[in-house]
Amino acid sequence: MRILAEGAAEYLKVDPDGFRAWVRDHKDRTLTSKLMSARDAVSRFVADGDYLVFDCNYFQRGPSTLLREVIRQKRRDIWLCGKFSYVDVGLLVGAGVVSKLDCGFFWPGATLDNAARDGRVEVFEYSNVVMTLRLQAGAMGLPFLPVRSFGGTDGFERSGAKLVEDPFTGRPITLAPALNPDVALIHVQQSDVYGNARVFGTGIAHQESALASKKVIISAEEIIDTAEIRRDPGRTSIPYYAVDAVVHAPFGAWPGNCGGYYGSDTPGVIEAFGAIARDVVPAYADKYITPFEDDQAMFNAIVGDERLAKLRAAETISEGYRA
Amino acid sequence: MTIDLGLRPGTGARAASFNEREAQICTVARMVEDGKTYWVAGGGSPMYAVLMAIRLYAPGAQYITEDGVIAPEPMLPFEPVMTMVSSRAGYRALAWGTMNTAGNHAQLGLMDYGILNTLQVDQYGNINSTRTGKGEAARRFGGPGGADSIAALCWRTVLMTDQEKRKFVERVDFISSPGFLDGSEGARERAGLPSGTGPFRVVTPCAMYDYTESRRLRLVAIAPWVTAEQVLAECEFTPVVADQLGTLDGPTEDELNLLRTELDPRGQNTAERSAWIIYDGEKYERAAG
Repeated sequence: MRILAEGAAEYLKVDPDGFRAWVRDHKDRTLTSKLMSARDAVSRFVADGDYLVFDCNYFQRGPSTLLREVIRQKRRDIWLCGKFSYVDVGLLVGAGVVSKLDCGFFWPGATLDNAARDGRVEVFEYSNVVMTLRLQAGAMGLPFLPVRSFGGTDGFERSGAKLVEDPFTGRPITLAPALNPDVALIHVQQSDVYGNARVFGTGIAHQESALASKKVIISAEEIIDTAEIRRDPGRTSIPYYAVDAVVHAPFGAWPGNCGGYYGSDTPGVIEAFGAIARDVVPAYADKYITPFEDDQAMFNAIVGDERLAKLRAAETISEGYRA
Repeated sequence: MTIDLGLRPGTGARAASFNEREAQICTVARMVEDGKTYWVAGGGSPMYAVLMAIRLYAPGAQYITEDGVIAPEPMLPFEPVMTMVSSRAGYRALAWGTMNTAGNHAQLGLMDYGILNTLQVDQYGNINSTRTGKGEAARRFGGPGGADSIAALCWRTVLMTDQEKRKFVERVDFISSPGFLDGSEGARERAGLPSGTGPFRVVTPCAMYDYTESRRLRLVAIAPWVTAEQVLAECEFTPVVADQLGTLDGPTEDELNLLRTELDPRGQNTAERSAWIIYDGEKYERAAG
């Protein structure tokens, strides 16, 4: 295949056979409970230097509790997938977790400005869809997938994509390298203890991320019986054998919205924006993360049952979210 | 020759006072075609424009967002920033998918129009949302998000941006999402993008542009509260100017009532910095200060 142009940036090594071998050796096919605390899950499955993907974001059914745990445990040198993200990229960068970043979209601010200018974080350029397509390729066991966007942009030049002559039509087509992250963090509405997980509502790439990643941590609003999973199998978004850890995390998307469960906490949302707009993430972490053993302790100390109950009451929509 | 702007007249009486952001949203709403599909950027003016159009002008227009929400009837207003993957934004949709759903459907040719807002646009309709400046003046922005796919794959792309010299530049500092690239014929196809797609209009709070046959921005209409000279002074380059400039009508009371009481009652989008315009029944004027 003739290569017409190619991006010059570093990208996570493409190795579908290596990934198959990992799956063969590490993905447990038995129905074994993987229920554990957020602390244990992050301690066991998120390592310094990992490539990390999280689905959705800090405000929209994202794994906010798990992201706070990553900051609490001071992970370092993480290569982050910044697709359809929000302030979470800034929070992780500002907390010193991240050294490389694949950009689809993140919320900008002083934290990112300063980190990029000082060279503390290296940014590689993609788009949201190109990133989810890379995950799709990774989730299919393929080395790449073609896409009819992204060519011609300056992002292409700073990516791992290639423009080739399509052997079928003879026309130029962009190829995006597959992405198989080391670890995925995904927040869902319901899961059983084995990791059969249900996402209700839209999402970004939860299925692709779960299947493409070597290690998968699910946090769930509710742990449900497997009998309930078997009653309505069509609602299983992610099957157990892709999953390594299941964390029971009520309000695990706080301060965000979790469809069918609770509305977003506007003061909490604004405070997170402020942290990266003014580059004061350490102060944010000192308030919400580092002093506490886990999120439950933080909710008890800072947010309080009354405020959480109001967020539950504010979520009046149930259609599509409850089985 | 007068260019057909593709704008329907607004319903209701002309409003006596409004800001330019509101005017921009109303202009785009009047462009929306009934029975067509729109992939709108999540949040901000593009979404309000299409919501206004569906309510007032084009009840059969449908929109999707990049989280794979297809044709919702959202519960308004949105909570701050909760315009995607939120239960209110996806309420009563016809289907729910994911980002690859949106990307694939656009790649198939199902999206007639994309509507985007952006930081910076150039004479060939290229879009920058990644970074500006160099050295100490460098500023990092959030990246293309879904805009690259919208600009590459929808049949026609409508861009909303401000009429400011630093935003209307000869060449964007970074092509995040494709316009006509270097402006040469076939540039998009050579880059692997589907043929027959690309930039269609740019709408600012006080002007509208289309593209010439040689793919350069062309000023085709201005608001009655500005002169062509004022608009051109807010472009870093000199765009082509149509022989006969059209006039963009100001917002109507119906449009503003909808926008201010139902779509964006908290002023999250429209209360941002923009000039106020007064209409005294005969002429429009920018308010002092």
